[in-house]
Amino acid sequence: MAVLFMLLVFSTIAAMVWGAVEIAWRDIFVILANTLPFYESVAGTEITQVYRDILLQIRVPRVILAAAVGSSLAVSGAVFQGLFRNPMADPYVIGISSGAALGAVFAMLGGFSLALGGFGAVPLFAFAGGISTMMLVYSMARVGRAVPVMTLLLAGIAVSAFLSALVSLFTYFAGEKLHMVVFWMMGGLGGATWQQVQVMVPYALAGYICVSFFSRELNAMLLGEETASNLGVNTEQVKKILLVGASLLVAAAVSTSGIIGFVGLVVPHFVRLVAGPDHRFLIPASALLGGSLLIATDTLARIVIAPSELPVGIITALIGAPMFIYLLKKRRKLRYFGGGG
Amino acid sequence: MGLNIDVHDLQLTYDTHPVLDGTEFRVERGDLVALLGANGAGKSTLLRCISRILQPTGGQIILEGKHLQNFNTKEVARLMAVVPQETTADFDFTVEDIVMMGRFPYLRRFQKEDQGDQEIVRRAMEMTGISHLADRSIATLSGGEKQRVIMARAVSQQPEVLLLDEPTANLDIGYQSMLLELASRLNREKDVTVIAAIHDINLAVHHFNRFILLSGGRVLAAGRAEEVITPENIQKSYGVSASTYRHPLHGVLQVSVVGNRKNGEHVEGGPAAHVIGGGEEALPALELLSQKGCRLSVGPVSAQDSGCRFAHFHSLPVIIVPPFTSMNSEHRSEHIKMMREADLIVVPPIPFGEGNLPIFEEVEIILKEGKAVYIIDLEGVEARDYSGRARNLLKGLIKQGAVALEKVEDLPAVINSGYNRDGGGVNER
Repeated sequence: MAVLFMLLVFSTIAAMVWGAVEIAWRDIFVILANTLPFYESVAGTEITQVYRDILLQIRVPRVILAAAVGSSLAVSGAVFQGLFRNPMADPYVIGISSGAALGAVFAMLGGFSLALGGFGAVPLFAFAGGISTMMLVYSMARVGRAVPVMTLLLAGIAVSAFLSALVSLFTYFAGEKLHMVVFWMMGGLGGATWQQVQVMVPYALAGYICVSFFSRELNAMLLGEETASNLGVNTEQVKKILLVGASLLVAAAVSTSGIIGFVGLVVPHFVRLVAGPDHRFLIPASALLGGSLLIATDTLARIVIAPSELPVGIITALIGAPMFIYLLKKRRKLRYFGGGG
Repeated sequence: MGLNIDVHDLQLTYDTHPVLDGTEFRVERGDLVALLGANGAGKSTLLRCISRILQPTGGQIILEGKHLQNFNTKEVARLMAVVPQETTADFDFTVEDIVMMGRFPYLRRFQKEDQGDQEIVRRAMEMTGISHLADRSIATLSGGEKQRVIMARAVSQQPEVLLLDEPTANLDIGYQSMLLELASRLNREKDVTVIAAIHDINLAVHHFNRFILLSGGRVLAAGRAEEVITPENIQKSYGVSASTYRHPLHGVLQVSVVGNRKNGEHVEGGPAAHVIGGGEEALPALELLSQKGCRLSVGPVSAQDSGCRFAHFHSLPVIIVPPFTSMNSEHRSEHIKMMREADLIVVPPIPFGEGNLPIFEEVEIILKEGKAVYIIDLEGVEARDYSGRARNLLKGLIKQGAVALEKVEDLPAVINSGYNRDGGGVNER
């Protein structure tokens, strides 16, 4: 855990240093220190206002947002994998991403200029789309008071496919806005603002707290719902809470950054391979690793073709997939998730 | 300490199909109960109602005077532990992690397991003999080891009631008896009430002292082994003929299934076969013909020999000659009568001596009447001939139309071809 925390700190600093304009790390500390009340550094005056603005108005919110999005995706991925007892599950498995994408595309094509509380229409619609998809899938899968996870998974896949088709349909008729739509769906953190941080982080935090409350229950659920129930877990209630918590995380992440793949799938697996399946460790560790990973890849996305930037989703997959395969090969005895030994 | 469990008029219906249909019984604290019954009789469903996985559609389950619905989930888990038939353990949890999960119902949210919990887990692993596996991943264990881990988890749950749902179904005989021994030890030492659904009745009688037999979602019988495990009850619930007996070595009640086909239940229109002589040597022929659906008769046999017991067991017509006596005229005329009623006569590879040589005269009579006679293993007769005359007598029979077969297994082919040809009896050849 300490190692992961160091990783997060390190990637944060790196992200602030590098970019289209490089800022010396000493200056970063000075600038940051200067923002603290009652602190006045002599050296601070020597740093130009431009650097100050780049750091405080562009890079810091972007790093915070990357951390929040990365950890949200990783944590929700861990939860969905555990809940569905399925290694293929990722944050988008029950169609939240498709719903969000539909909302976003709708907002873009409609050209809505409405901005609630100064917040853009695209994230708003995306968030609403994601959450309502989750509710739709949930109500479709419900049998009486119970929600069998297998039905949930299948309903999610079906709804997801349907919504994706709608997204494609809209995209087809997007015309001059095509570039905008495609770029959004590739996922990216460009144009992060403090305002986005203010809106996104509370949702992410709420989701995280909600999920981490039920780590021990999630451990028991890994052994099957019946077993969990025999051990005293109120499975239906726990499922509902976890579903809502994880969906909040995903919807918050997707609405701010578009669809960033791979982080949510790979990070939890990575942590499990190294440290085992105990969710009391898995969830915070996934949060830290997911956050660091997205900060790092986002930094790369900003600098490889600077001053222009790549969609970060491309980088996460390009780096994440080979790393994961390497790990799989190295740990031949992949035993969890029905590996058998 | 154990708990009383009252199951009262329990109903559970899947779609329109009733699985439990008025199940009713009482289990006293400290009972060691085996739940018997055919597949689909409702054993698992009943256990899952008691452990609150399933919600019955009618009736009540009362734990120590309190309705089961009025307990909360964690309370139920503190009172009852369940060992299922099989546990999927795909994740890389260590054995100790899994056993520690038994402490879940005792822990508050975010409360860390303390020394007391660790001690309970350590003792549970010791009791089940898995201490040496503590750090192993559950996914790497064999079925038997895994089941002991699940048992250890149940022990660490410190339950008053232990429910086992066919816990031994996938285990070898060693692990089967070890697991049930553990259950009875918990019952003995901690007075835990044990209810176990179990398929193997002969295994169950060794480890349990009360039996509940379910059939069609109802209790067909409940009580001690000899009250519950009777041929009639077995026939009713499992639909097979079985006999029960005290084991000659350990004296425990045992069940032996004899299949569905007793005499009189032979294949419609199947041939009637008469097998001569008893003794171990006749058994292969008797068994084979019985399997092929023949109506059988046996004789003459001496009382107490294998052929005689076979005939009694299957209620076959048999001619019994008292030990150390030879056949009298009454036996002989009865024998001829019996052979006349058969479609074919089989002379299995039995030993011959002066005592049973007169049979040949009777066979000859029957042969002349046109009955088919099959003599098995003519070549090997010398080794079992104590009279020195059997070979020639048998050869004489063959001259008159009897058919020699090399071995018992050749019988079905000749019966089928001979019998089907004219439908009535094997007269030609």
